[in-house]
Formats: sequence, structure tokens, C-alpha cells
Amino acid sequence: MTVTVFGISGSPHRHGNTETLLDKFLEGAQEAGATVEKVVLKDLHYSPCRGCNACHKTGDCIVQDDAIVLYDTIMAADCIAVASPIYTMGITAELKGLIDRGQYLWAQKFILKTLYFTDEHIKKHKGIFVSTAGLGWDKVFDGAFPVMTALFNSVGFEYYDNIIANDMDRYGGIRQHPTALSEAYEKGQKVARVLAYLRESP
Amino acid sequence: MPIKVLAFAGSPRRHGNSETLLDWVLASMGGETDVSVEKIALSEANINMCNGCNACEKLNRCIQRDGMDTVHDKIIEADCIVLASPIFCMGLAAQVKALVDRAQVFRSRKYVLKLPIVPPERRGKRFGIFLATAGQNWDHVFAAAIPSVKCFYHVIDIRDADIHYLMINNVDEKGAIERHPTAKNEADMLGKDVIAELKKRFSS
Repeated sequence: MTVTVFGISGSPHRHGNTETLLDKFLEGAQEAGATVEKVVLKDLHYSPCRGCNACHKTGDCIVQDDAIVLYDTIMAADCIAVASPIYTMGITAELKGLIDRGQYLWAQKFILKTLYFTDEHIKKHKGIFVSTAGLGWDKVFDGAFPVMTALFNSVGFEYYDNIIANDMDRYGGIRQHPTALSEAYEKGQKVARVLAYLRESP
Repeated sequence: MPIKVLAFAGSPRRHGNSETLLDWVLASMGGETDVSVEKIALSEANINMCNGCNACEKLNRCIQRDGMDTVHDKIIEADCIVLASPIFCMGLAAQVKALVDRAQVFRSRKYVLKLPIVPPERRGKRFGIFLATAGQNWDHVFAAAIPSVKCFYHVIDIRDADIHYLMINNVDEKGAIERHPTAKNEADMLGKDVIAELKKRFSS
């Protein structure tokens, strides 16, 4: 079985800076032998979390839509690359909507105690955050990191790396950035190899 | 002219902890003279997500026709804008993030088109209040939401120094905030203080 890498594009803007960066990462992973799949959140149909807390009793979400299918795909992957541009100092509402829907996993872990990830499992599942921002501030991604940590924790993935590039407005887009795309490609290759190695190790 | 307070109940759960906190603040504001209060529940406001199309940089308006059409005008007219959100997964609820992202039209107006958001005589006389509740008891549970909140208020011409915060952690189940030792008093005082400050600004 090959390593599976699942890319999730959370930008409403098709083939923009963030999705291009994600594509490069996936390309690198594929080149290193991984099986790669990508979804674009804006093409899917799911509603944000209703906060009804029904999952606190049952462990399941009462809203059955594309979000649940997506979480099944996430849980079956070895690596997830979750991509969002920075809008208003945070991830997009599309991606936040998906992440909030993971509440049923949180309930399984912490309320019902029916879901548990071993350290071994977490080590073999890598989560990567892919992002771009128009602004050049160093802190522009800071509001996004804790949310990504929450996502990776709830699905049992190690928060392995960030592939991020700010100052897009000044560069005039990701293609003008001197290093971002080649770094994303290399990181894709690297994570595919690391995961293949971890699979074979006892 | 009464002071106009515009409030957003951002939680998808109606009448839960963050909305109760909001209701306390609004009741205290509404109890003052010459104050009109309007509350909008985002779960019923039909506000779509930002498309990221950047058309507002040229058109000075959003190309989407939805609940934001009226909310846009109300944001400009209000003297105080109250935003209430629960913390989900360390951030604003997705419904609140959708509203905040749609403020992109104000950002384009201000920074790309270099046009005013409010008339000059109203600048520096607008206040913001951010209310949040979180189930976790961590002190830092609100930290990741705040940059988005500041950004939202900034683009609608509410200064950083004029944003007030009341954030209550460790309240999870519906109604938990009712048992919080200080939240109601704090909400009450906050409402009164902000109205008093606004009145002072208006008379100066």
C-alpha cells in the first residue's frame, strides 16, 4: 500500500495563491510515490456546526452531508494538507465551517471516550497547514495556528509542518515568490518518504 | 438622535451562553435613555461566505445579494457594534467568521479605493464590543479569535482603543453562564460604561 496524501483546499478562489501552493506540495508527494487526492471545499455541500451538542450523547453528527464523508477520507489518509488563505487574520469561513463540524470526534474522545489515538498512530499521521497571506506581517498566521492544532488533534494527526508564505500583495502572487513553490514541492517529497519509512518500521 | 447599538448573536445555538451574555449587555444598554438596540441572529441572517473574488476592490460593493445588503448599511449607521461568538475549535464560530470575512468590502473601500467608511464627523465616535464564551477553561482560549475581531472593527472604522471585551471561559453546557459568579455583573457594567462613554464622545 502506498502512502496516501489528502489535500483540502479551503479557498473560495480557484487556482489562487494558496491552492497553487497546495498543488505544488501534492505534486512533490506524488513524485515521491504517494497516492494523492484533492478536494475543493467550495464545490462540496456541508453546513457549519449547529452547536446542538447531539454528538455529545451519541458520538455522531445528526447532520449527514459532505462534511462527514470528508472526515472519513481524512481519517483514512496518512497525510492531510489543509490549505486556506488568511482572510481577516484567520482561516476562511469555508474551512472553519468544516473544522467546527469535527465536534463529534471531540465528543467521542473526551466525553464518550470511544475514540483514542496512540502515540504510534499520531506519529504515522502527518498534518500540514498550507497558507498564504496578502499582508507581510510576521504575525499574520498566528490566529490560524491554534485552530489547525485543534483540527489535527481531533483527527489524530501530528501537526507536522507549515507551508506558508506571506506578503503576496507585494510579490504580486505566489508565482513571483522566490522560494515558496519549490519549498512546497520539496516538503511534499519529504513527507511522502518519511511516511513510507514509518510504515515499514515496526 | 438616539445612540444606535447593532448586535450580532453569532452562535448557531440560539439563547445559549454567548447570546445570554449578549442579552445582558443589551439589556443594560437599552435601559439607558436615548438608546436604540437591534439584535441580529447570524443563524437567521442569510449571510454567505466571501467568494474571494476581489470585485469589491473595483465596484465598492459586494457582488453577492443576500442578508449582507442590509447588514452593510446597518454597520455604517450604528454607533456601537456588538459581536458575540462562542469559541469553536479555538476560533470564532464559522458563522461569525463568514460575517467578518464579508467586511472585505469595507477594507477595499478604505485601503484600495481610499474612500471613507463613515462621515468625518462620526469618526472616533464608534465603539465595538466583543463578547465571547468558551467551554475550555484555558486563559488563552480566546487568543486566536482576537486578531480577526480587531481586523473586523478596524475596517469598519472602530479604533482599537474603542473595542471593549468581555470573554468568559469554562462555560460549556447551555445555561452554564447563568451560574457564573461575575459574568452578569460584568455585562451589566460594560453596557452602561460604553453608553456613558459614547454620550461623552458625542457631547465633546
